[in-house]
Amino acid sequence: MGGQACVLYGAAEFSRDTDFAILASQANLSRLRTAMAELQAEVIAVPPFHLKYLKKGHAIHFRCHAPEAAGMRVDVMTKMRGVDNFAKLWARRSTLLAEDGTSYQLMSLPDLVKAKKTQRDKDWPMIRRLVEADYFEERERPNPKQSCFWFLELRTPELLVELASMHPETCRKLIKQRSLLKLAAAGEAIDLIGALSEEERLEREADRNYWIPLKAELE
Amino acid sequence: MISAEQLVGEELAEWYSLTPQERWRESAKLWEVFLSLGGSLDPEPDTQSPFFDPGAPSSRPFDGRTGLRLIRRGGV
Repeated sequence: MGGQACVLYGAAEFSRDTDFAILASQANLSRLRTAMAELQAEVIAVPPFHLKYLKKGHAIHFRCHAPEAAGMRVDVMTKMRGVDNFAKLWARRSTLLAEDGTSYQLMSLPDLVKAKKTQRDKDWPMIRRLVEADYFEERERPNPKQSCFWFLELRTPELLVELASMHPETCRKLIKQRSLLKLAAAGEAIDLIGALSEEERLEREADRNYWIPLKAELE
Repeated sequence: MISAEQLVGEELAEWYSLTPQERWRESAKLWEVFLSLGGSLDPEPDTQSPFFDPGAPSSRPFDGRTGLRLIRRGGV
Protein backbone atom coordinates (compact mmCIF):
# COMPACT_ATOMS: atom_id res chain seq x y z
CA MET A 1 0.00 0.00 0.00
CA GLY A 2 2.98 2.38 0.11
CA GLY A 3 5.62 3.56 -2.32
CA GLN A 4 5.81 0.25 -4.15
CA ALA A 5 2.07 0.35 -4.82
CA CYS A 6 2.47 3.91 -6.11
CA VAL A 7 5.15 2.75 -8.56
CA LEU A 8 2.93 -0.03 -9.87
CA TYR A 9 0.00 2.35 -10.29
CA GLY A 10 2.02 4.92 -12.21
CA ALA A 11 3.41 7.47 -9.79
CA ALA A 12 7.17 7.73 -9.47
CA GLU A 13 8.45 7.22 -5.96
CA PHE A 14 11.66 5.92 -4.48
CA SER A 15 10.51 4.45 -1.23
CA ARG A 16 12.89 2.68 1.08
CA ASP A 17 10.36 0.92 3.22
CA THR A 18 7.54 -1.49 2.46
CA ASP A 19 4.09 -0.84 3.85
CA PHE A 20 1.45 -3.50 4.32
CA ALA A 21 -2.21 -3.22 5.23
CA ILE A 22 -3.10 -6.38 7.11
CA LEU A 23 -6.10 -8.01 8.72
CA ALA A 24 -5.86 -7.49 12.47
CA SER A 25 -6.78 -10.84 13.91
CA GLN A 26 -4.93 -13.01 16.38
CA ALA A 27 -4.49 -15.79 13.80
CA ASN A 28 -3.16 -13.41 11.18
CA LEU A 29 -0.82 -11.83 13.66
CA SER A 30 0.63 -15.27 14.39
CA ARG A 31 1.31 -15.68 10.67
CA LEU A 32 2.89 -12.24 10.58
CA ARG A 33 5.12 -13.12 13.54
CA THR A 34 6.31 -16.21 11.66
CA ALA A 35 7.05 -14.18 8.52
CA MET A 36 8.86 -11.53 10.52
CA ALA A 37 10.87 -14.18 12.32
CA GLU A 38 12.01 -15.52 8.93
CA LEU A 39 13.13 -12.02 8.06
CA GLN A 40 14.78 -11.74 11.47
CA ALA A 41 12.83 -8.54 11.92
CA GLU A 42 12.83 -6.55 15.11
CA VAL A 43 10.22 -4.03 16.15
CA ILE A 44 11.67 -0.55 16.19
CA ALA A 45 10.26 2.55 17.79
CA VAL A 46 6.82 2.53 19.36
CA PRO A 47 4.28 1.02 19.67
CA PRO A 48 5.09 -2.61 20.51
CA PHE A 49 3.76 -5.43 18.35
CA HIS A 50 0.31 -5.93 19.89
CA LEU A 51 -3.05 -6.37 18.25
CA LYS A 52 -4.62 -3.57 20.30
CA TYR A 53 -2.30 -0.96 18.77
CA LEU A 54 -3.01 -2.10 15.24
CA LYS A 55 -6.74 -2.04 15.87
CA LYS A 56 -6.53 1.52 17.15
CA GLY A 57 -4.81 2.67 13.98
CA HIS A 58 -1.13 2.65 14.87
CA ALA A 59 1.52 1.27 12.57
CA ILE A 60 4.07 -1.27 13.76
CA HIS A 61 7.56 -0.68 12.43
CA PHE A 62 10.07 -3.42 11.79
CA ARG A 63 13.64 -3.60 10.62
CA CYS A 64 14.85 -6.81 8.98
CA HIS A 65 18.18 -8.45 9.67
CA ALA A 66 18.02 -11.57 7.48
CA PRO A 67 20.90 -11.33 4.97
CA GLU A 68 18.66 -11.07 1.88
CA ALA A 69 16.70 -8.17 3.43
CA ALA A 70 19.24 -6.69 5.80
CA GLY A 71 18.31 -3.20 6.90
CA MET A 72 14.94 -3.17 5.15
CA ARG A 73 12.09 -1.43 6.95
CA VAL A 74 8.62 -2.93 6.98
CA ASP A 75 5.60 -1.10 8.35
CA VAL A 76 2.25 -2.76 8.94
CA MET A 77 -1.11 -1.11 9.54
CA THR A 78 -4.66 -2.25 9.69
CA LYS A 79 -6.72 0.89 10.09
CA MET A 80 -6.29 4.18 8.28
CA ARG A 81 -8.18 7.43 8.50
CA GLY A 82 -10.97 7.67 5.95
CA VAL A 83 -10.29 4.20 4.58
CA ASP A 84 -12.64 1.21 4.75
CA ASN A 85 -11.97 -1.84 6.89
CA PHE A 86 -9.62 -4.57 5.73
CA ALA A 87 -12.34 -6.91 4.44
CA LYS A 88 -13.54 -4.25 1.99
CA LEU A 89 -10.00 -3.29 1.01
CA TRP A 90 -9.18 -6.92 0.32
CA ALA A 91 -12.31 -7.44 -1.75
CA ARG A 92 -11.40 -4.44 -3.94
CA ARG A 93 -7.67 -5.16 -4.21
CA SER A 94 -5.74 -5.31 -7.48
CA THR A 95 -3.54 -8.30 -8.20
CA LEU A 96 -0.50 -7.79 -10.39
CA LEU A 97 1.67 -10.53 -11.72
CA ALA A 98 5.38 -9.75 -12.10
CA GLU A 99 7.55 -11.21 -14.83
CA ASP A 100 9.12 -13.64 -12.38
CA GLY A 101 5.69 -15.05 -11.53
CA THR A 102 5.36 -13.25 -8.19
CA SER A 103 1.90 -11.86 -7.59
CA TYR A 104 1.40 -8.61 -5.70
CA GLN A 105 -1.82 -7.79 -3.89
CA LEU A 106 -2.29 -4.02 -4.01
CA MET A 107 -4.78 -1.80 -2.34
CA SER A 108 -7.14 -0.58 -5.06
CA LEU A 109 -6.24 2.78 -6.54
CA PRO A 110 -9.23 4.65 -5.02
CA ASP A 111 -8.38 3.17 -1.60
CA LEU A 112 -4.70 4.02 -1.97
CA VAL A 113 -5.61 7.61 -2.83
CA LYS A 114 -7.75 7.83 0.31
CA ALA A 115 -4.95 6.37 2.43
CA LYS A 116 -2.55 8.97 1.06
CA LYS A 117 -4.63 11.91 2.28
CA THR A 118 -2.38 12.62 5.22
CA GLN A 119 -0.76 15.61 6.83
CA ARG A 120 2.51 15.04 4.96
CA ASP A 121 3.63 17.31 2.10
CA LYS A 122 4.97 14.43 0.07
CA ASP A 123 1.68 12.52 -0.18
CA TRP A 124 -0.20 15.22 -2.08
CA PRO A 125 1.87 15.37 -5.27
CA MET A 126 1.76 11.57 -5.16
CA ILE A 127 -2.05 11.56 -5.15
CA ARG A 128 -2.03 13.95 -8.09
CA ARG A 129 0.32 11.70 -10.06
CA LEU A 130 -1.59 8.52 -9.22
CA VAL A 131 -4.88 9.89 -10.48
CA GLU A 132 -3.29 11.58 -13.50
CA ALA A 133 -1.64 8.32 -14.56
CA ASP A 134 -4.96 6.49 -14.32
CA TYR A 135 -6.77 9.27 -16.18
CA PHE A 136 -4.31 9.32 -19.08
CA GLU A 137 -4.46 5.55 -19.37
CA GLU A 138 -8.24 5.24 -19.34
CA ARG A 139 -9.78 8.55 -20.40
CA GLU A 140 -10.59 7.37 -23.93
CA ARG A 141 -12.82 4.57 -22.65
CA PRO A 142 -13.90 5.26 -19.09
CA ASN A 143 -16.66 3.39 -17.33
CA PRO A 144 -19.02 5.44 -15.11
CA LYS A 145 -17.19 4.36 -11.95
CA GLN A 146 -13.89 5.63 -13.29
CA SER A 147 -15.38 8.99 -14.31
CA CYS A 148 -16.76 9.40 -10.79
CA PHE A 149 -13.39 8.50 -9.29
CA TRP A 150 -11.65 11.13 -11.42
CA PHE A 151 -14.25 13.77 -10.64
CA LEU A 152 -13.84 13.14 -6.93
CA GLU A 153 -10.07 12.68 -6.79
CA LEU A 154 -8.30 14.48 -9.65
CA ARG A 155 -6.06 17.25 -8.34
CA THR A 156 -5.02 18.70 -11.68
CA PRO A 157 -7.06 21.81 -12.62
CA GLU A 158 -6.62 21.42 -16.38
CA LEU A 159 -7.78 17.80 -16.30
CA LEU A 160 -10.77 18.57 -14.10
CA VAL A 161 -11.88 21.19 -16.61
CA GLU A 162 -11.35 18.78 -19.49
CA LEU A 163 -13.26 16.01 -17.71
CA ALA A 164 -16.14 18.36 -16.91
CA SER A 165 -16.39 19.37 -20.54
CA MET A 166 -16.52 15.71 -21.62
CA HIS A 167 -19.03 14.57 -18.96
CA PRO A 168 -21.04 17.65 -17.94
CA GLU A 169 -23.99 15.71 -16.55
CA THR A 170 -21.86 13.56 -14.25
CA CYS A 171 -20.01 16.67 -13.14
CA ARG A 172 -23.25 18.40 -12.23
CA LYS A 173 -24.43 15.41 -10.20
CA LEU A 174 -21.20 15.22 -8.22
CA ILE A 175 -21.02 18.88 -7.20
CA LYS A 176 -22.83 17.96 -3.97
CA GLN A 177 -19.95 15.65 -3.09
CA ARG A 178 -17.13 17.96 -4.20
CA SER A 179 -18.05 21.61 -4.39
CA LEU A 180 -15.01 22.67 -6.43
CA LEU A 181 -16.52 20.81 -9.39
CA LYS A 182 -18.61 23.96 -9.91
CA LEU A 183 -15.40 25.66 -10.96
CA ALA A 184 -14.46 22.76 -13.22
CA ALA A 185 -17.88 22.94 -14.90
CA ALA A 186 -17.37 26.65 -15.45
CA GLY A 187 -13.89 26.11 -16.90
CA GLU A 188 -12.26 28.11 -14.12
CA ALA A 189 -8.87 26.39 -14.02
CA ILE A 190 -7.15 29.26 -12.19
CA ASP A 191 -9.74 29.34 -9.39
CA LEU A 192 -9.50 25.57 -9.12
CA ILE A 193 -5.89 25.92 -7.97
CA GLY A 194 -7.00 27.77 -4.85
CA ALA A 195 -9.95 25.46 -4.24
CA LEU A 196 -7.74 22.36 -4.49
CA SER A 197 -5.28 23.92 -2.12
CA GLU A 198 -8.04 24.61 0.41
CA GLU A 199 -9.33 21.06 0.04
CA GLU A 200 -5.84 19.78 0.80
CA ARG A 201 -5.47 22.08 3.79
CA LEU A 202 -8.69 20.78 5.32
CA GLU A 203 -7.71 17.12 4.82
CA ARG A 204 -4.31 17.71 6.36
CA GLU A 205 -5.87 19.42 9.33
CA ALA A 206 -8.32 16.53 9.73
CA ASP A 207 -5.40 14.09 9.67
CA ARG A 208 -3.49 16.06 12.30
CA ASN A 209 -6.57 16.06 14.54
CA TYR A 210 -7.10 12.33 13.97
CA TRP A 211 -3.59 11.63 15.22
CA ILE A 212 -3.62 13.83 18.34
CA PRO A 213 -5.27 11.25 20.65
CA LEU A 214 -3.41 8.35 19.03
CA LYS A 215 -0.04 9.99 19.58
CA ALA A 216 -1.01 10.90 23.13
CA GLU A 217 -1.57 7.20 23.88
CA LEU A 218 2.06 6.46 23.12
CA GLU A 219 3.56 9.25 25.19
CA MET B 1 -7.57 16.86 -25.12
CA ILE B 2 -4.49 17.77 -23.12
CA SER B 3 -1.65 15.34 -23.67
CA ALA B 4 0.39 13.94 -20.81
CA GLU B 5 3.51 15.45 -22.39
CA GLN B 6 1.95 18.92 -22.38
CA LEU B 7 0.91 18.63 -18.80
CA VAL B 8 3.80 16.89 -17.04
CA GLY B 9 6.66 16.84 -19.52
CA GLU B 10 8.13 14.00 -21.54
CA GLU B 11 9.90 12.14 -18.75
CA LEU B 12 6.90 11.72 -16.50
CA ALA B 13 4.56 11.14 -19.45
CA GLU B 14 6.81 8.27 -20.51
CA TRP B 15 6.68 6.85 -16.97
CA TYR B 16 2.87 7.08 -17.01
CA SER B 17 2.77 5.19 -20.28
CA LEU B 18 4.73 2.18 -18.99
CA THR B 19 2.94 -0.96 -17.86
CA PRO B 20 3.09 -1.77 -14.13
CA GLN B 21 5.57 -4.55 -14.91
CA GLU B 22 7.80 -2.12 -16.81
CA ARG B 23 7.67 0.40 -14.00
CA TRP B 24 8.55 -2.33 -11.50
CA ARG B 25 11.54 -3.33 -13.61
CA GLU B 26 12.76 0.26 -13.95
CA SER B 27 12.31 0.81 -10.24
CA ALA B 28 14.34 -2.34 -9.52
CA LYS B 29 17.17 -0.99 -11.70
CA LEU B 30 17.17 2.20 -9.69
CA TRP B 31 17.41 0.13 -6.52
CA GLU B 32 20.41 -1.76 -7.84
CA VAL B 33 22.25 1.46 -8.61
CA PHE B 34 21.29 2.98 -5.28
CA LEU B 35 22.52 -0.01 -3.31
CA SER B 36 25.67 -0.40 -5.40
CA LEU B 37 26.54 3.18 -4.48
CA GLY B 38 26.17 2.30 -0.82
CA GLY B 39 22.77 3.89 -0.35
CA SER B 40 21.17 3.36 3.03
CA LEU B 41 17.92 1.48 3.47
CA ASP B 42 16.88 3.79 6.28
CA PRO B 43 13.87 5.82 5.20
CA GLU B 44 14.54 9.53 5.11
CA PRO B 45 13.51 11.19 8.36
CA ASP B 46 9.88 12.13 7.85
CA THR B 47 9.20 14.77 10.46
CA GLN B 48 5.64 15.27 9.23
CA SER B 49 4.68 11.66 9.77
CA PRO B 50 2.67 10.88 12.88
CA PHE B 51 4.99 7.89 13.22
CA PHE B 52 8.14 10.02 13.31
CA ASP B 53 10.32 9.07 16.24
CA PRO B 54 13.57 11.04 16.52
CA GLY B 55 14.90 8.42 18.92
CA ALA B 56 14.37 5.46 16.61
CA PRO B 57 17.58 3.50 16.03
CA SER B 58 19.00 3.49 12.52
CA SER B 59 20.34 0.51 10.65
CA ARG B 60 23.85 -0.09 9.54
CA PRO B 61 24.49 0.35 5.82
CA PHE B 62 23.24 -2.50 3.64
CA ASP B 63 26.67 -3.69 2.61
CA GLY B 64 28.74 -2.56 5.55
CA ARG B 65 30.07 0.44 3.72
CA THR B 66 29.58 3.91 5.01
CA GLY B 67 26.71 4.87 2.72
CA LEU B 68 26.57 7.69 0.22
CA ARG B 69 29.06 10.40 0.87
CA LEU B 70 29.93 13.70 -0.74
CA ILE B 71 33.09 13.52 -2.77
CA ARG B 72 32.79 16.77 -4.69
CA ARG B 73 30.65 19.77 -4.03
CA GLY B 74 29.75 21.95 -6.99
CA GLY B 75 29.58 25.71 -6.66
CA VAL B 76 26.27 27.52 -6.39
